[in-house]
Amino acid sequence: MIAIDGLRKRFGRQLALDGVTFTVPRGEIFGFVGPNGAGKTTTIRILATLAPADSGTATIGGVPVGDDPGAVRELVGYMPDFFGVYDRLTAVEYLEFYAACHGVDRSRRRRVALELLELVDLGDRRETQVDTLSRGMKQRLCLARALVHDPRVLLLDEPASGLDPRARVEMRELVRELRRMGKTILVSSHILPELEELCTWVGFIDRGQMVAVGPMDQVRDRVVAGRRLRIDLVDAEEGAMRSAEEMLAEHPGVLAVDLLGDHIEITVGEGFEDAGLLAELIGRKVPVRAFSPVAGDLSEAFMRLTEPTEERLSR
Amino acid sequence: MSRFLRLLSGFDNPLIVKDGISRMRSWRAPLAITLYLGLLGAFGYAIFTIAVLTSQYTRTASSAQIGGSVFVSLAFFQLALIALFAPALAAGAISGERERQTFDVLLVSRVSAFGIVWGKLVASLAYLVLLILTALPLFAAVFLFGGIDFEQFVLAHVLTIVTAVAIGAVSLFFSALFKRSLPATVTSYAAAFFMIVGTFVAGLLLTYIYAFRDRTTGAYGFEFHPLAYGNPLFAMYVVLTSPSGAPVHVGRLLQLLFMSGGEPSLWGPQLEPWQVCVGSELLLTALAVLGSVLLVRGRRAMPLRRSRPVAVEAVS
Repeated sequence: MIAIDGLRKRFGRQLALDGVTFTVPRGEIFGFVGPNGAGKTTTIRILATLAPADSGTATIGGVPVGDDPGAVRELVGYMPDFFGVYDRLTAVEYLEFYAACHGVDRSRRRRVALELLELVDLGDRRETQVDTLSRGMKQRLCLARALVHDPRVLLLDEPASGLDPRARVEMRELVRELRRMGKTILVSSHILPELEELCTWVGFIDRGQMVAVGPMDQVRDRVVAGRRLRIDLVDAEEGAMRSAEEMLAEHPGVLAVDLLGDHIEITVGEGFEDAGLLAELIGRKVPVRAFSPVAGDLSEAFMRLTEPTEERLSR
Repeated sequence: MSRFLRLLSGFDNPLIVKDGISRMRSWRAPLAITLYLGLLGAFGYAIFTIAVLTSQYTRTASSAQIGGSVFVSLAFFQLALIALFAPALAAGAISGERERQTFDVLLVSRVSAFGIVWGKLVASLAYLVLLILTALPLFAAVFLFGGIDFEQFVLAHVLTIVTAVAIGAVSLFFSALFKRSLPATVTSYAAAFFMIVGTFVAGLLLTYIYAFRDRTTGAYGFEFHPLAYGNPLFAMYVVLTSPSGAPVHVGRLLQLLFMSGGEPSLWGPQLEPWQVCVGSELLLTALAVLGSVLLVRGRRAMPLRRSRPVAVEAVS
């Protein structure tokens, strides 16, 4: 749905993008990860037709961004990393205004605005002036704004920045709901555990270059040698823990087993089938209460991929 | 679509509606109208009182003379007030969108660069026109005294509105040029001052330089340099005080503009100062709008001249 090939962009002497190449398949949530100044926002602005690339190509839904920005704007909903709102407009007027800007027929504007307010759970705030809404509400309203013309692709630049935990969860659920509606979503964020839970694909960018791209599981397995899984037993009795430990150690693909008080953590290699192990544990009557990946893998991957090396520093 | 409907569709711009709602809900909108009418009314009343008192001493002034002098004073005062209000309304129109961080979102919508500039210009000017319209009853009351005919009444308001449009368009250009509203506003006020006062002073200086340099000029009477001739203050003065006007051939105006000597040219039609003023201000408006459109368009990625779509393999 989104295809970027060899994108380069220079600001004066600063090379912001250096041959960025990746694709985002239709219907996926793509997490765009990188440190500050890595080139995330520049890439998103090029995709949103707000900045031209010096070279390389970017297509959205098969439409080249540089050749036909007008057509791309029809396909794309853009939510920048800041939310500008107008004073003295109600939430429904705000969305009606953007619906008009996107050419939505006059007779449909009010209905579209009300439906979107319901979608982002602001239906009861439709007559509230937007400048009086809370930060989380404004952020959800801005997401609704990006949807007024029913775009197939959403470009969300740091949508959860500055939000409290509750607002972040609400935003995450909203993005998932949009994926269920068939949208392809590119989302950049610094909150990596959240991206890990949300995204199906991930791309790491550092100093204007992509350092890893692909489905979340594959990237995580490839970058973090030994993914970790946590297993909780119904009764953390020592005998049961020991027998589970022995069984886990014999399972193919398990690199290490650690007994950590009331639970077990194992390290597994690339391509490990989590479901196979869980089926075997249940088949052998091991009383499994919880079976989950250890959070923080993406953070570890992020740190490894973006740590300064001599080669990178010399660029 | 009929021409009238096509004209109306130009006003079906979401920015006009949005800015209109936003502005009229602000407490500043009624305050500005009150202030404007209050100042105009107080000024008109002061001039009227002075004119009546003066007529009691001189016993020569008629009702028409009093009405005429009040109308002329009010027209100039309104022009000055509009020149003060126009930059304040238009200079923050586009830079304000940047400061509010809403400009990028506008740029990714279907509204064209011209649509953005046109919407912002009309939204700013609509309020100025509202100010001028609210003051019409005041002028109409003075009109009843006589001393001013209907044509003068209309031309004085045409000059005021066109000057407001020109100052608004130039202010909008600076709003598109500068990222922040403060420098845009300061520059817009400087430009408005130059348009109203600067051109008149510069035109007078050039007039005297020309008169001294080319002695033949004296043979054809005192002729103003087009910079002063097309100045809104001078045009307003001629419209309100000289019913016969001060027509000059286009050819002669060009001679005076480029300060070339010789016999006065009779080429082209004769133009009144108000026509030169309206024409030059509309030209300035068109240039300012064009400049604003180019500046706004420059903020968007433009289509490439050559299409080079590349099929990209999935990276995994």
